Amino acid sequence: MDNESVIQISNLTKIYRDFWGRKKVRALNSLSLEVKKGEIFGLLGPNGSGKTTTLKLLLGLLFPSEGDIKVLGQPASNVEKNERIGYLPEESYLYRFLNAEETLDFYGRLFKMSAKERRERSAELIEKVGLGHAKRRQLKEYSKGMTRRIGLAQALINNPDLVMLDEPTSGLDPLGTDDMKRMIVELKEQGKTVLMCSHLLADVQDVCDRIAILYGGELKVMGRVDDLLKEQEETQILTSKLSDEAINEIKQVVAKHNGTVDTVDHPTATLESLFLKTVQESKERPGQRFVPETEKNKTAE
Amino acid sequence: MSFDPIPYDTFSAFIHFLSVFGSAMLLALIVCLIVGVITRGTKGITDVFMAIGDFFVQIFHLSCRRIWSLSVLTIRESLRQKILFVFIIFAVLFMFAGWFLSGAADRPDLQIQSYIDFVLKAISWLVIPIMLLLACWSLPEDIRLRTIHTVVTKPTYRIEIVMGRMLGFTLLGSVILLVMGTVGYIWINRQVPESAQYQLVSKVPVYGKIAFTDREGAPTTAGINVGDVWMYRSYIEGATKARAIYTFEGIDPGDAIDDKLVLQSSFEAFRTHKGNMEKGGILYQFIFVNEDKNLRVPTRPLVNKEYSENVLEVNRKIKDDDAEGGEGVELDIFDDLVDKDGNLTVEVQCLEAGQLLGMARPDLFVRTPDRAFVVGYSKAVLGIWMPMVLVIMLGVTISCFVKGPVAILTTLTVVMVGFMSKEYMNEILSGKMEAAGAIEAWYRLITHMNSQTELPAGPVKVIIETVDAGIINFLWLCQQVIPNFGIFSNMREYVIKGFDVSWSAALLPGIATTAAYILPCLIVSFYSLKLRELEAK
Repeated sequence: MDNESVIQISNLTKIYRDFWGRKKVRALNSLSLEVKKGEIFGLLGPNGSGKTTTLKLLLGLLFPSEGDIKVLGQPASNVEKNERIGYLPEESYLYRFLNAEETLDFYGRLFKMSAKERRERSAELIEKVGLGHAKRRQLKEYSKGMTRRIGLAQALINNPDLVMLDEPTSGLDPLGTDDMKRMIVELKEQGKTVLMCSHLLADVQDVCDRIAILYGGELKVMGRVDDLLKEQEETQILTSKLSDEAINEIKQVVAKHNGTVDTVDHPTATLESLFLKTVQESKERPGQRFVPETEKNKTAE
Repeated sequence: MSFDPIPYDTFSAFIHFLSVFGSAMLLALIVCLIVGVITRGTKGITDVFMAIGDFFVQIFHLSCRRIWSLSVLTIRESLRQKILFVFIIFAVLFMFAGWFLSGAADRPDLQIQSYIDFVLKAISWLVIPIMLLLACWSLPEDIRLRTIHTVVTKPTYRIEIVMGRMLGFTLLGSVILLVMGTVGYIWINRQVPESAQYQLVSKVPVYGKIAFTDREGAPTTAGINVGDVWMYRSYIEGATKARAIYTFEGIDPGDAIDDKLVLQSSFEAFRTHKGNMEKGGILYQFIFVNEDKNLRVPTRPLVNKEYSENVLEVNRKIKDDDAEGGEGVELDIFDDLVDKDGNLTVEVQCLEAGQLLGMARPDLFVRTPDRAFVVGYSKAVLGIWMPMVLVIMLGVTISCFVKGPVAILTTLTVVMVGFMSKEYMNEILSGKMEAAGAIEAWYRLITHMNSQTELPAGPVKVIIETVDAGIINFLWLCQQVIPNFGIFSNMREYVIKGFDVSWSAALLPGIATTAAYILPCLIVSFYSLKLRELEAK
């Protein structure tokens, strides 16, 4: 990972005012953070914590009340910086009367892309987000998940260096969520920087390198995900299945070193992984009921 | 024709534009600087000048590709909103219009007028309101649905979004107008019977200047006022030395039709006694005058047929004692009667004692070779296109700072005032129409005070006069800012009456009016979008 800053925010404050200029709400309060090149940075927080406001300030959709913003080394109000940025809004705010191809062609035209480049890039992205079967349908006929996919495609049309994703997995089914997370990781592998807002913590944990947690418009925690989640006072050893005898022996060894064994259990898979496995199996063996590993073991016993 | 086609003074208009536009910009700058200093201190001054610079930066960095792309989006959006349904309404109108318009008048010239009037009105009443609705609705919808977020977060200047919208609607409206105009033209041609097709032309008049002499032959500024409330015409007394003197500039042989000078007149008679009704009108006479050669050549007595066109064809070669051929010295109208400056002077004399003949400047003109009807008709369609473009520009501009319904109402108000009240405002502000101020009129109504009575001196009078002065100033501002849409409806009138649309008196003012609003609309829309947080609810 490069140490070059892609986003620099210092003492950023945003106060929403009413028509008469009276303060309505302080959405952000002296926020300072930095996003480095090539990392996936997650902005977390409950609803109303200021995540989306931060993103919109970075994009120049809102104007800061105080503080400075630098995106790719330029002020947020600078339009030229958008050449290198891709943005997926919270709801995919796209023209519903266009179809997928027209949508990507339209956004491609806003960049310096030739007709050939637009055509090739559109075709590539449509396949990548899995909308090849629906590329001629108007977006008003799309499901929410499909709209998110085409939204991501439009964000990537210019092959951006910095991708800003606002709630990228909202409205997606587990398969879509998995695809989205895979694509986000791919972006990182391509050397791109990703800034994403979400309140779906599991998704963030899966893909983000660093996170910042906002609450009430203020930064509460920031750091690497691994560091923040690591329990320093406990040790976990994962082994293959052991007999009761072996477990007792291990307990004795632990006791010898003044330690205690708190829990001995079989690890559980996540519901998400079970769901994904079920769908995968169903695709491979249509017409057959999927039997999970635990059920197979019980039958064997 | 009730209008007076006065050539447009482009230079004065340009100076007027510069003074109004410059004053508005200066005022806006001063207000911005004051607000900037109050809210941000000295940094406010820098910010204001940076914002001004930003406009020029964006203007010089405009991308035709992006503007075109946004125009195509606009067109596509409108088409998918079923805008072309307008053609169904248009088709239905034309399918049945013939039933109601045929036989509306016995005279074919009036019949043709009603056809052309119907076609041009139908087109403008369909196209302009639809384009107004689309123009006012599109950007606010973009902001409400936040689709604009995915556009402004691309390398797109906000001014490009405005220009893209304007261009898109203009192109769409132009295509609709072209189709409707073509269909309308074919429809008119099919409706007009073969026997009346010769009337389907665009007459090209040359208007002159008018002057008067009184009953003693002395020059005077106007003729007699016969008490008509409509002061359009001035009257000359019959069988006296009273004359109306028309001077036509730049007359040359190219203005002849089949080697004849054609004079067309439409004077109005005012009778002090019934007279001889069998003649069919009051007698009058033209006298060609060339002071350089001391020539005065009268025509034979002519009968003025009211409410119809009186056409006199004068042979190019005439005898000086009879303009339509007789014994005497042969004269060439263009060589002998046109003076050295190229002016042809024609005096009009009423020949009947006790009768008066009323005339205005456009009532007599030299008719030069006609142009094809399609020429005048196309210009009339252009006269619909220009206000359409103006409405689109105003609609998109206003929609940059207010929501859709408010933008529609505001634009509609501007258009209505521009169509109907512009002349009225001009008359009040120029002092032609004497009127008390609004508050004073209201005060007089409430207190039942006669309009001739002076307001009692005191604070009430001061307050009323101060508020009225403010209202008049506001009226002045509206008069300066609101476009004069009446200019465009004049073009339609030309064609309805069978004339070609004058370049200098109708097309040029229309083009100048439309062009004058381009820059102000761009500036207003640029700052409206620039200073607006597109996310703010």
